[in-house]
Amino acid sequence: MKVKISKSMIVFQCIAYVLLALGAVVCVAPFLIILSGSLTDDAIIIKEGYSILPRGFTLAAYETIFKVPGEILQAYKMTIFYTVVGTVLGLLMITLTAYVISRKEFKYRNQVSFLIYFTTLFGGGMIPWYLMYANVLNLKGSTFPIWFPGLMSPFLIILMRTFISESVPDAITESAKLDGAGHVTIFFRIILPVLGPGLATVGLFLALGYWNDWYRSSMFSVSQDTWELQFYLYNLLNASSSMKQMAQSANIAMTDIPTQSMKLAMAVVVTGPVLLFYPFVQRYFVSGITVGAVKG
Amino acid sequence: MEERLERKIWGRKTGVVMTAAVSAIAFILSLPFVSWVKVVNISSLFPKIGISREAAADLYQGYSIFNLLDFVQKGGQGKIGLYAMILLMLLIAAWYFNLAYLWKAVRNKKRKDGDLGLYAAGRLAMLSVLLLAGASVGFVAFSNSRFGMKGFSASPVIYLLSVLCIMAYAVIKRMEKKERELYHEHGLLKEIRKNWVLFLMLVPTFVYFMINSYLPMVGIYYAFTNFNFRDGLWASPFVGMKNFEFLLKGDLFRLTRNTVLYNVAFILLGNVLQIIFAILVSQVSKKWFQKTSQTLMFMPYFVSFVLLKVLVYNLFEYDYGLVNNIVTSLGGDKIDFYNTPAYWPFLIVLFNLWKGIGYGMVVYLASIMGIDGELYEAAKVDGANVFHQIRYITLPLLKPTFIILLLYSLGGIMKGQFELFYQMVGNNGVLYNVTDIIDTYVYRITMTQPLSIGLGTAAGLYQSVFGFVIVVVTNWLIKRKNPQYALF
Repeated sequence: MKVKISKSMIVFQCIAYVLLALGAVVCVAPFLIILSGSLTDDAIIIKEGYSILPRGFTLAAYETIFKVPGEILQAYKMTIFYTVVGTVLGLLMITLTAYVISRKEFKYRNQVSFLIYFTTLFGGGMIPWYLMYANVLNLKGSTFPIWFPGLMSPFLIILMRTFISESVPDAITESAKLDGAGHVTIFFRIILPVLGPGLATVGLFLALGYWNDWYRSSMFSVSQDTWELQFYLYNLLNASSSMKQMAQSANIAMTDIPTQSMKLAMAVVVTGPVLLFYPFVQRYFVSGITVGAVKG
Repeated sequence: MEERLERKIWGRKTGVVMTAAVSAIAFILSLPFVSWVKVVNISSLFPKIGISREAAADLYQGYSIFNLLDFVQKGGQGKIGLYAMILLMLLIAAWYFNLAYLWKAVRNKKRKDGDLGLYAAGRLAMLSVLLLAGASVGFVAFSNSRFGMKGFSASPVIYLLSVLCIMAYAVIKRMEKKERELYHEHGLLKEIRKNWVLFLMLVPTFVYFMINSYLPMVGIYYAFTNFNFRDGLWASPFVGMKNFEFLLKGDLFRLTRNTVLYNVAFILLGNVLQIIFAILVSQVSKKWFQKTSQTLMFMPYFVSFVLLKVLVYNLFEYDYGLVNNIVTSLGGDKIDFYNTPAYWPFLIVLFNLWKGIGYGMVVYLASIMGIDGELYEAAKVDGANVFHQIRYITLPLLKPTFIILLLYSLGGIMKGQFELFYQMVGNNGVLYNVTDIIDTYVYRITMTQPLSIGLGTAAGLYQSVFGFVIVVVTNWLIKRKNPQYALF
């Protein structure tokens, strides 16, 4: 069948293309500004300011960063540690919980779900939460309060429960139970093998959360050894003193440091991994949000 | 007695009436005018714990759980304050459970599992009173050990109530047993024996939510203290509502106004923009363009707020910022963004939209994709153009999603976007008047003014309670009008 293209359709398509292109540019341009700034000669930035395209192309900023890579590598190492530990542990705990509250034969599943959901409705606030880790458990300065609070969230548990009930029909687990399978067998042999997309989605949400976190470091880190990458960047932006420190340890005069472009180069180094992975993992986030949205 | 209880009509009714009466008695006896804790040996106690003659004039001989904190405050006894606060919370829980039981007993609504719900409520009510009574006795012992002498004694009311509750509990249990056999239901212990693996799987989650959410709730006590690290978690002086009064006189109005108004702007503009772009993406004819534009617009969601800080700095910095660059090249004067509050509400809203548009688009796209394609086909046959289709098919069918998202964000209207505000504004005091929200205020106190921790907790508690009330009320209203939109 030949579709007749009406006039209104043409008008609409034009508007749509223009607006979407505009939206896409607005969303991406800032990244380009950062990237080009990091490649620009510092003197030019100071004289003429930032611009969208790099002028006086140079890698000086990156060279300065990697002249003394100790600090940034430490922050990288810690962030990878937090991300891996948090994602693996969190994924396990979330999946187990979601499995339990999706069991029809579990009498208290509604009560358990409510207790989890209630934490989004009411809480003690930031200070009691902080005092819990810092004073009651006395863990300020250790890595525990940095990775532990990010392990689970009600949203992710509910998301995982939806994934479980969609990928494994009750009839299958019922028949497995009749064959004598216990919960451990059902969980590891039946549920987990087909839960790939769910695990990927929830795992990526967790990992992204850990990678982008700065605030737990800002509250619980005592020394720079436990800083998260984002908090490292944050401090670099704020304090010129950390720049000076870098200059001293790299044996460069403070005036020779490309201060402005170095900040941007650091931002690129910190965000790089996320943007590199982004095109490949984006669809998991989309599917996660879609599943979450459909089920409310 | 037992036979009577098992008789469906008369016996059970008596049982419920009796236990409901116990519930009512418990409620009445826990009202403020009945004293649970008696102050004894006043003449030697007050000098020992440092209560002056003038302060003593304000104190009573006996206290209910309800006004125990009064003693703590006026007597300056911070060291028993936290425990007294826990008692108060238990008291409120006991009131709630007992009133709930009374309400259920009076309404006497039949459910598909018979009276099991009623009995569960009854047992909970009795247990809560027992817990309160036990904790009160514990409190007396605790205080006496803190005082170093016998200063408090537990009133007989506590013991009387405990006995009554144990009896009522036994009666309910007895009735429940029969009912359970009738409906093939079982209790907690049997469930644990049957599904112990499932309970074991929940242990890590339980620990997590205890540490991260439930135990910190006890800490709202610090909202009522003048917290200091020397006296610590247990002994900081209790000051009653002073912190709230201070907030009310000072920053509370400004903070609330900022938090709520920003959220309203975020919610309304965000949703409208997301709907517009979701519709555009869904209608574009070229698949590759659809994919690319969506991917690119989703990108800001993935970067941290620290990067946002870099961006904002890049664009609006006075000397090198891109915007000032453009302004000067067009012959204008440089704008001092970081010292001019007027710009920031727009900038903050703008960057919030920027960061959130991709996420919201995906949500709305999901529900657009769920619309039956035949509707559009039929509309085309009837001669509707694309604008008509959007107006009469897409938008009406997006309404439920829109309303649910709206309600959901309405519930969070007191919660500020802390990371956004903190990274965009930071510690720039010039802008506080228009950019300070409750969350940034509390964070600043936590990190830089440990002496104001009580004040910060009070602000946080105000935020939590107010937010909670808004959620519950909204949900209740929605449930009455349109149950399918209810959140819980």
